[in-house]
Amino acid sequence: MTMPYPVASVSFYRRLKRRIFTILEGDVTDPSSRFCEIFIAILVVLNVLAIILESVPEIHDQAGDYFADFDVFSVIIFSIEYVLRIWSYSERYPEADASAWKGRKEYVLSFFGIVDFLSTVPFYLQLLIPGADLRVLRMFRLLRIFKLSRYNSAMEDMFEAIKAEKDSFSSAIFLLFISCLLFSSLIYIIEGTSQPEVFPSIPAAMHWFILTIISGWGNVDPVSFPGVILVVITQFLAIALAAMFTALVSTSYRAQVSRRELLYEMEMRDVLADGIVTEEESIRLKKMQAKFGMSDEQVEAIAAQVRAENKLPG
Amino acid sequence: MLCHQCQFDNEVGNAFCQNCGTALVEQDKTITHTNSPSPTLKRPFRYRVMEIMNGSPNQPLSRYAEWLISLVVVINCAAVILDSVPEVHADYKDFFHELEFWSVIFFTSEYLLRVWSFSERYLESAWRGRKEYVFSIFGLVDFFATVPFYLHYFIPGLDLRILRVLRLLRILKLSKYNSALQDLYKAVYSERRAFGSAAFLLMIAAIVSASMMHFAEGHAQPNYFGTIPHSIYWSIVTITSGWGNVEPATKMGEVIALFTGFLGVCMVAIMTGIVASAFANQAARKKAAYELQMREILKDGVVTEKEGEVLQRLQEKFRLSDAEVETMMKQAQSKARS
Repeated sequence: MTMPYPVASVSFYRRLKRRIFTILEGDVTDPSSRFCEIFIAILVVLNVLAIILESVPEIHDQAGDYFADFDVFSVIIFSIEYVLRIWSYSERYPEADASAWKGRKEYVLSFFGIVDFLSTVPFYLQLLIPGADLRVLRMFRLLRIFKLSRYNSAMEDMFEAIKAEKDSFSSAIFLLFISCLLFSSLIYIIEGTSQPEVFPSIPAAMHWFILTIISGWGNVDPVSFPGVILVVITQFLAIALAAMFTALVSTSYRAQVSRRELLYEMEMRDVLADGIVTEEESIRLKKMQAKFGMSDEQVEAIAAQVRAENKLPG
Repeated sequence: MLCHQCQFDNEVGNAFCQNCGTALVEQDKTITHTNSPSPTLKRPFRYRVMEIMNGSPNQPLSRYAEWLISLVVVINCAAVILDSVPEVHADYKDFFHELEFWSVIFFTSEYLLRVWSFSERYLESAWRGRKEYVFSIFGLVDFFATVPFYLHYFIPGLDLRILRVLRLLRILKLSKYNSALQDLYKAVYSERRAFGSAAFLLMIAAIVSASMMHFAEGHAQPNYFGTIPHSIYWSIVTITSGWGNVEPATKMGEVIALFTGFLGVCMVAIMTGIVASAFANQAARKKAAYELQMREILKDGVVTEKEGEVLQRLQEKFRLSDAEVETMMKQAQSKARS
């Protein structure tokens, strides 16, 4: 991040805040940021393991106290993390005219901000209201697992790829929705009278439909001939929908990869335009490669192509 | 110029290695030591052995070596399978024993030849190439498919079943000669991050759905959902097959079960999509590499015999169909004319 003002004029408080922001925001080159990331990730994994193990009665009887202590410890750490994040995220927009609360509001209302809040704060409710349902609290604790996805950049890529093709995805989901309505109403009309125990209502028929779509078999044998036809068509539809979703993911993913290769190629061409690669430029290329998760082979192929084009006249 | 990937000696002016298809980047280090001991002429015998063992197109013998090794491997695997049938075992016991003995000798000499000749891989140090081979997947397979047989002599009381399983490892030796398999591996490797995040998603889906099921059904069906580890088994079955081993008893559980099954469909779609796109990307990269070489050759307007051979070899290596090559040729020619 660039410094918009000279370092010397900044107060210690401001510098500390900026430093904590860099550490929490994640910077690959900063060792303390790496350490912080790994520490929180390990703590989250241990938390999830503890929740899973705690549900086994024998383990809970023997080590219940340890689990409670560990939970208190984790809540303290996560609370500190949450408070520090809110405090330091005012540095996200360091321009003088921007309000300190802009970055903070953005964080609190972001996906991760909500996850951080919901996975930590309900613990305090338990202290205030002793009679709260423990199972609900445990559900909230499970949300901690989503804190991990902050450190998984490939997952963000996946969501980005899907977002780029969101129109096709929504039309596929729309198709699923329409066929769900249509087929479950039809099966209710055809088989509802002869099998009232399985198809007592359209929502029950919808249950059958979704089951057929996801597993290929809806657990119900049709008794009438039109029912058989309808079941078979639904099963074929299941295969077709699965193929469609697969093709969509594949296309969007591929589009993203080629978009990135293009971006990288442009950068490479820019770097190679003057014929020399300075150290700064090669670091820039390396960083870009790491960010896009491209393999060395891919990069070399692009480099060879750009070089060959440069060699050709014109 | 030597390819830095496989040390194959390429013609000057090639943009891509004719052996492995890697882009030839001019690295100062490789060039200096290629030029010093005049490259192709005075190659020692050991180097030629390495080329044969490595399947280099420079050595016609390498193809026969490949065939011979593949044949012995196939015969061996057939023998292991047939040997497990009691009647066949009773009739041909001695034959199988003899076959195993000679195969082990054959594979041992292959292994030793490889270790010995792979010192030629890098000029600076004889042991670097050897170490690389011994610790590569193929080196380990070669080792474990052969050496345990000798243990059998030293420790007569050894469990024979383990030996038989290790003998079946020999089939993996075939994958060395299957370049399509290596392509698949490379394509998957280049998208490893995407696979990692898909696995991560799968893990989250399994844990979250299992815990939700535990909370929803733990009281109703304590046998199956009494603990989260139990429910994890259920959720993995549901994600992979769409329908779990247990029927949910509550309305809440039913909704969670349907949702989990739907997640399974999405997971399959994501995995398939990643593989498909990885494969398509790789094919595109290969095509681009071939096209680049072709353009280089067509630049002067004539295709000499040698250049034709280069293209032929590259086409074989990249497994491009004739139709594809023809289209590319036409495209390159029309571009050159304009």
